Order: sequence, then C-alpha cells, then structure tokens
Amino acid sequence: MLHRTLAFLFMVSALASCMKWDYVDPEEIQTDGHGLFIINEGNFQYGNASLCYYDPATKEVQTEIFLRANGFKLGDVAQSMTVRDGRGWIVVNNSHVIFAIDADNCRETGRIEGFTSPRYIHFVSDDKAYVSQIWDNRIAIVDPRRYEITGYIEVPDMAMASGSTEQMVQIGQYVYCNCFSYQNRIIKIDTATDRVVASLTVGIQPQSLVADAYGKLWTICNGGFEDSPYGYETPALYRIDPQTFSVEAKFEFALGDNPSELCTNGDGTRLFWLNDDLWQMAASAPRLPFTPLIESRGTIYYGLTVDPACGDIYIADAIDYQQPGKIYRYDSHARLLDEFYAGITPGAFAFK
Amino acid sequence: MHEFMKTYDICRDARLVRPQITQRVSQDARAVRPYTLKLCLIFLCIVHCASCIAQRSLREVTVIGRRPMREIGVQKTRFDSLALKENVALSMADVLTYNSGIFVKSYGRATLSTVAFRGTSPSHTQVTWNGLNINSPMLGMTDFSTIPSYFVDNASLLHGSSSVGETGGGLGGLVRLGTAADAPDGFHGQYVQGIGSFSTFDEYLRLTFHNERWTSSTRVVYSSSPNDYKYTNHDKKVNIYDDNHNIVGQYHPTERNVSGAFKDFHALQEVYYDDQNGNRLGLNAWYINSNRELPILTTDYADTDFDNRQREQTLRTVLSWGHNRGRGWNTDIRGGYVYTALAYDYKRAVGGEGPMAVMTRSRSYVNTFFGRAEGNIYTRDRRWLFTANISAHQNLVRAHDKNIVTTDGNDAIVGYDKGRIDLSGAVSAKWQPNSRLGMSVVLRREMSGTKWAPIIPAFFIDGVISRKGNVMARASVSRNYRFPSLNDMYFMPGGNPDLKSESGFSYDAGISFDIGRSHVYALSGSVTWFDSYIDDWILWLPTTKGFFSPRNVKEVHAYGIETKAELSVQLRSDLLLDLNGSLSWTPSVNRGEPMTEADKSVGKQLPYVPRTSASLTGRLTWRTWSFLYKWAHYSRRFTMSSNESTLTGHLPPYYMSNIVLGKKIALRNVGLDFKLAVNNLFNEDYLSVLSRPMPGINFELFIGISI
Repeated sequence: MLHRTLAFLFMVSALASCMKWDYVDPEEIQTDGHGLFIINEGNFQYGNASLCYYDPATKEVQTEIFLRANGFKLGDVAQSMTVRDGRGWIVVNNSHVIFAIDADNCRETGRIEGFTSPRYIHFVSDDKAYVSQIWDNRIAIVDPRRYEITGYIEVPDMAMASGSTEQMVQIGQYVYCNCFSYQNRIIKIDTATDRVVASLTVGIQPQSLVADAYGKLWTICNGGFEDSPYGYETPALYRIDPQTFSVEAKFEFALGDNPSELCTNGDGTRLFWLNDDLWQMAASAPRLPFTPLIESRGTIYYGLTVDPACGDIYIADAIDYQQPGKIYRYDSHARLLDEFYAGITPGAFAFK
Repeated sequence: MHEFMKTYDICRDARLVRPQITQRVSQDARAVRPYTLKLCLIFLCIVHCASCIAQRSLREVTVIGRRPMREIGVQKTRFDSLALKENVALSMADVLTYNSGIFVKSYGRATLSTVAFRGTSPSHTQVTWNGLNINSPMLGMTDFSTIPSYFVDNASLLHGSSSVGETGGGLGGLVRLGTAADAPDGFHGQYVQGIGSFSTFDEYLRLTFHNERWTSSTRVVYSSSPNDYKYTNHDKKVNIYDDNHNIVGQYHPTERNVSGAFKDFHALQEVYYDDQNGNRLGLNAWYINSNRELPILTTDYADTDFDNRQREQTLRTVLSWGHNRGRGWNTDIRGGYVYTALAYDYKRAVGGEGPMAVMTRSRSYVNTFFGRAEGNIYTRDRRWLFTANISAHQNLVRAHDKNIVTTDGNDAIVGYDKGRIDLSGAVSAKWQPNSRLGMSVVLRREMSGTKWAPIIPAFFIDGVISRKGNVMARASVSRNYRFPSLNDMYFMPGGNPDLKSESGFSYDAGISFDIGRSHVYALSGSVTWFDSYIDDWILWLPTTKGFFSPRNVKEVHAYGIETKAELSVQLRSDLLLDLNGSLSWTPSVNRGEPMTEADKSVGKQLPYVPRTSASLTGRLTWRTWSFLYKWAHYSRRFTMSSNESTLTGHLPPYYMSNIVLGKKIALRNVGLDFKLAVNNLFNEDYLSVLSRPMPGINFELFIGISI
C-alpha cells in the first residue's frame, strides 16, 4: 500500500513541470509599401502593448510585429509613434522608454530610457528631439543619435504631480505644445534656447493640437468632467494665431460632448475629429458642421488618422478594450474601403 | 491617454482593505440531535500546545445522522485546520490556491491576490468574518494575500446560492472566515519563527488563557522581506552595442523583483466570557500595519530611483453577545467599528540631490460602523427551524486620489467624500420532515444608500439517497444582486452613480458520499453541477476623456462542475496518509449582446478565468514526522475577451508544486516544531498575470516552540 501511494504521489508530481513563460524567437518581418503602423496601447499595467502594420495596397495586416521581430515585448501602454528617415520611434508610456526601430523590418536600432512618463516625441532636428511627459512638469530633450536625454525644458507654473505636456507642433523656430491633464494651456517653446517663452490659456484640457494649411494652430479642449475640482465647461475647438499667440476663434460643442483626436488631412485644409461620430470641417469654415462625416457604429471610437497622401481615413474601435480593436478605413468621401483587426486598444497611428 | 488610468488602476489593484477575522460560535452544533450511524470519520486537528504534539491517527467519532438544519442543501467546502495552520508565512490566498477549486489571481509574492469563484469576478465573492462583510466598501473585493492564515481558525466556502443565507451579493459565493475561542486550560504560548529565501522573516506569537468562564487569545504576526527574488526576464532584452551605438547582440536579462519589499504587522486580541448560563460575550480587536512596495512590471525600463509604496493601517473591533437558551432558540447580536487608512505614494528622482518628486499622493480613509443580529428558533418537534438575521454597515469614505493646481492657482484634491448605509436582512424556514429529507427557503432583502434590491429568494433541498455510503443529494436555486461599490459610483473621475446592481440567477445540484472503515481508511467525495447567469456585469472601460468609467455591459453565463475528494488511509499503525483534492471545470462565458458589430467576445471565456482548476494536497504522517506535498493547476487563461491565441493573448497552464517537511519534538513541558517549506519545487520560470514575474524555487525554515 505504501509503495503504491508513494508511486501515485510521484506520478502526480511529474505533472508539475509543464509550465512555461514563453520565449519568442525573433523572426523576419517585412513592412512593405507605404503603409500604416498601428500603435496598440494594450491594457495599463499588463505590458501587452503591440505594434501592427497595414499595407493599404495589399490590405494585408501584420500583428505583434515588434514582439515577433525582436523577441521581446513592446511594453506597457504604447502611446505614440513618429516615423523619421526610415526609423520609427515608439513612445511606450508606462515602460518609460522610447524604442527606435527600422521601419522596414521593425528590428530595434536603439532605445532611450530615463523618462518619467513619456507621451510624444517631436523632432526638432537630426540631433535634437523633444519628448512630452505626464506626471512631470518637464519636457525632455533627447539626442536621437546617441539615444540619450540631454536636458529638460521646465514648464513654468506647472506642478510635478499634475504635470502634463502632450502633442507638439512646430511652426518655424517655435514648438507649440498642449498641456492636457488638469491643464488649460498651450505653451510656446523656442527651439533655439529650449525654453518656454510664452503660454496661452485656452479651454479646460486641450486634448490635441494640429497646424493647418494656413499656418494656424488648432486645439480641441474636452472641457473636463462633471464635478471636477479643476472645472467643467463646454468643450470647444480653438483656432490660434501662432504669430500673435492668441485665440482667433472658438467653436463650442455641447456641454457633455467628448471631442478628441483632432487631426488634419495631408495639405491641412480640412480638420477631422471624433465626437462620438467622425466630424470634419474645412479649416476656413466659419462654424462647426451640423452633420458628421461618418456616423458612429454604436461604439466609442478611440483613434483617428488621415492618410496625408490620399486622404483615406482610419478610425479605431477599441470595442471593449480587452480584445483586438478594429480599424475601419474610409476614403475621403466616407466610403468604407476596408476593415481589419489590430491589437488591444489601438490608439495611435504612424504612416511609414 | 491611458496614463490617466493610473489613478484608478492603482486604486483597484493596490488599495485593498485587509479583512479581519473573528469568531462566532456555531449554534447549529448545539441544536442538532445526534444519531450514531456506525461510521468512521476522521478527526484531524493540530492544537498548538506541547501536550498535544502527538501522533496523528485515524480516529473514530460519532457521526451526525441528522444533518445541521442550517445547512440544508448548502454546497460548502470547509478547510482543514491543518491547511490553515500549515506554516506561518501563508496567506489565505495560498490556502485557497492549494485547497480549493477557486482561481486565485496573484500579481506576485506578497502582492495583490484576488479570486474568481465559480468563474465570476473578485467583487462577486463576498468575504465575511462571521457575518460581517469585510470586502472593501470602496473596491467591493478583498486582497487575500493580506490575511495571514494563522489568524484564521475556521474557514469555509459557500458556493453560489449557498451564500444567500449569510449575505447578499455573493454571485460567485462566499468565503467565510472566523476565529475560535478554543484554547486549552490555563496559560499557554506558542512562538514560531520563519527564516526564508530573499531575507524573509516571519514571526508569530500566540498567548492563550482559558478557564471555566474566560478565554483570552493574543496573536501577533510580523512578516518582512526585501522580496527581491531573481528571475530571467523574458519580456525584455538588453542590448549590446558597438562603439557606434549599433546593436550587435541582445539577451534576456536576469533581473530582481524591484520594489517588492513588504513589512506586515498584525495583532489580534480576543477575549470571551461564558457565564455558563447560555450567555457568551466576545471582544475581538485586530490591528494591521502594512507597508508594501508595489513591484514594477517586467516591461519597465525605468532606471531612476523611485518609491512606489502602499501603506495601510486598519483597526477592526467587534463586540458580540451570543445567547443559547436551551434547545429551542438562540440569538447572536454584535456590533463593531472598522477604521482603515490607506496611503499610496509614487515618487521619482528627477535629477540632482534633492528629495524625490511626488508623482502620486493618494489617501483614503474608511470608517465603518456595523451591527448584526441573528436569531434561530426550532419548533418543539425540531422539524422546523426559523431563522432571521439583519445587518447594517454604515460606510464613510473619504478618498483623496490626486492633488492638482486649479486654474486660479489654488491647490485642490480630486477625490470623493461619501457615506452609504448598506442594510441586509433575511428570514428563512427550514424543514426536515424526516431524517432523509430537508428543505429550506430563504428570503433576503437588501438596501444600499437609498436603493432597494428586489427580494432575493433562495430554495434548498437535500436528501439522503442511501444511508450506506452516506450518499446525499443537494440542490438549490436562487436569485441574487450585488450593489456597485463606492468607487464604482463615486470615484473621481469616472464614477457612475447611475449604475444598476448586477443581478444573478443560479442553481446547482450535487451528490456526495462518505465511506470508511474503522482504523483503515475514510473516503469522502462530492460532485456538484452549477449554472448561473449574471446580468449587468460591471466593467470599467476607458472614455474619450482619458479615464475609466464603469458601465453595466455584460451578461455572463458561468457554469460547470466542481468535484472534491478526501481520502485518509492508515497505512500502518504509525503511518497516516491524507489526500485532499479538488477539480473544477468552470466555463464563464460572455452571453451579452455584442458591444459593437466588431465585438468578438460573445460566446467566449472571460479573460483571466481558467476553465479548469485543480488542487491536491498529500500529507504523509509518520510518528512525529510529516511530509506535505501541495499541487495546484490552472488551465490556460486568456488575456483577451475574444480569446485570441496570439503571443500575448494567453498565459500557459499553471502547475505549481510545494513541499513541506515537518518534525515535532515533545519535551517535558515544551513542544518543538520544525518545518522546512520548499516552494516552486521545480523552479518554474512563470507568470500568473502578464508582466508579473513569480519567484523560482525558494525555501523557508520554521522553528516553533509551544508551552
């Protein structure tokens, strides 16, 4: 009896050695054509951000290409990506890192570490870029050639704990940046001195920032949220004259609306944004449109971009944020051209 | 955009209130008329005093032929005291993992551990301390890693509908914990020290006094560790560069669990007075002081100094009076107060020699006043039992989650300050027309704030199919509701005061048996099938404003089969083998309407809920030696609601083995107890949750002394 029992226990213990934390062997990835990188945030604190590539010509989509090309994960909350001179710079917010990849094969070429909580990277020149951050009142200055932080731009009148700098747009010598979370300003940075030289108060929580064909800046403010100690107001779209650094026009939405993801077409003559539906208007329009360009499919769209070359519109549906989101591709006349799945929470795009 | 989730997620993941454990005397045992059935069962216990360090053996006891009327039709799993008192380093998360079919989702060693009971979410498992709901009123759930198993004397699971008799909201079930007044006469003491890998130290002291009327028990636990175990990071690679900063090689680094240190102190004082006339007074006070760092992810490249820390102070006090008047009726009244202060701080070095900059400073304070009354009365022929209980919890929560500077330059706090009273009352009628059949009806009504839930009805039936083998069948059906937590409703930003209660409908049926032969073996087992539907399942989803907000979105069908078996074999006169196993098959499937036309989650298993879980403990006791083997298994867990089989779409099956070797030495007035625990016996390199590394093989030696 004893022997049989011990044999049984041994047999059970043999079951115990089947568990694996998977290694992923790198494979060859080719991102052909002039396609679109889709940056999938993943779930906060689960480290499952991912990168996809979509070729509009062939309508082929490749998923998890960073992991497959490099054999390690992209990280936790991939926030944005900028492609410059054949390299993609992926800002991975809660991994506190920016990965540089070869845009043709997605192999890592380098990384910049040491950030508090990076959001976007903007290239001033080949050897200087700015990295905006949240939970920090500083914009990091990096040297992309040496992959290191070389300095900081302190934002005046901004506390560290509620610090937030976001998207950056350069017009001439100056970089403009919207300060988003519990903020209400656009700041102006002199790239020659790397200092904030002016700031402009707009509405509560300017969420995104673009420049149009006429040299104007546009920002969309979401108005905060109800009962927020920071305030709650009607969301609005602001047009800003960068020369005088003043608000030229304000287009109000309805209280409670959630406008976001402001972007332009290739030549900057049209503005696009999400507010449940997809909306567009001419950059010269005197008022907000009455009808959307594309009606919502009953979901909260999470990402938006417009192909600068052909004007195709890509909208991301994150669905329940726990499964691969779906991307809808429309032409500029709102005709559906394609649809495909990407990764969890597709929130940003970058054209190759 | 998701960085804004940090405030919420940190709260969800880190700010869990520690449950407390107290004691309530089961009145049922006194109310049951015993019958002898000539059947042997096992009586297994360890009493921590020198006089009781004796060889364990299969013992013959009287079997209760008439089942406790309070448990008619109830599906219950009771934990053996051996499992609870296995070693001082264990938490209730460990006990649940290795002794039940419940899935424990662990974020690491001494880190958040929540449960999925019958395929439901952590907030669908109620946790009580003899009737007092100890789920956090803010989060609606419990972190089982923060309950030292040495502080628990009685623990049981009430599956699904079976929880309705105790409390509402247990859509998955109820974990019922308690302490007992049991202590040997006179003064006794026990001290245990554990010294383990990663500079882990565990200290446990218990002092007891007992005489005819008074019982006093004082318990203290202190656990600390840098918890900086090494692991090979498969999620990351380190680059090797040439002089021109070209990458010429990469490798997976061996890293340490950074920011995983913990220092947990618990003290539990209990005093009981029995007037020998049916009255019993009790006072329980549990103080917790916890200081835990929150480990970084495997995908974190932060290279600057930081401090990511959660601190908690909790005091729970309970005053109780129980009265047992003869054999006809008994009552229990208790009241108490719970205070919890939680602090979460995230600081980072931002260059220079100055202090670290504060990124997050979050504080919350919870005051809870509670009262509970319960009465049971039997009819003269004892065929009917009527019970009633009512409880009230007044929760006052003040949560400061973020400090901001307003547009006019003033400091302001993002948070909420809310109070809510939760009432719950139930009446039941239980009928045993004969010794073979029992039926029970429970009607429960609950109120939260100003909202009433519909009546929660439950019906139970059981019957003896065969006295030979003690074969019994049980079945139950119930409706149930769970109110949203205070964070669900008021968290700033995102709280949704318009949330509806989650509602569930469940039924189960099962069969069990007990067989044995005196001094040879005892074998028991059960199989239960359950089926439940939960509507308006609350999920926190991102909004376009960048933060999360809860919504009633899903309908879930959770069903499956739970099996349990226990076997004890007296292999020789001085050699005893105990085997205890469980196997649960619990599909938990999203049956709601697609959220959008693109939604692929309908019909799929919920993420992070395994379809199959199993546990087995085998204990071999030879004279004063013991050998324990523990094994747990969870099947593959999907990380996506659409059950994708992509590289990051799932976690591989989980198999874990631990062993404990023990030796007791009984001296004249002192008992010594030595144990060596080996965890992760096969040194598995594994994850339980994405990006949360678990430790490899590790050891801890325990030396106990009892007087």
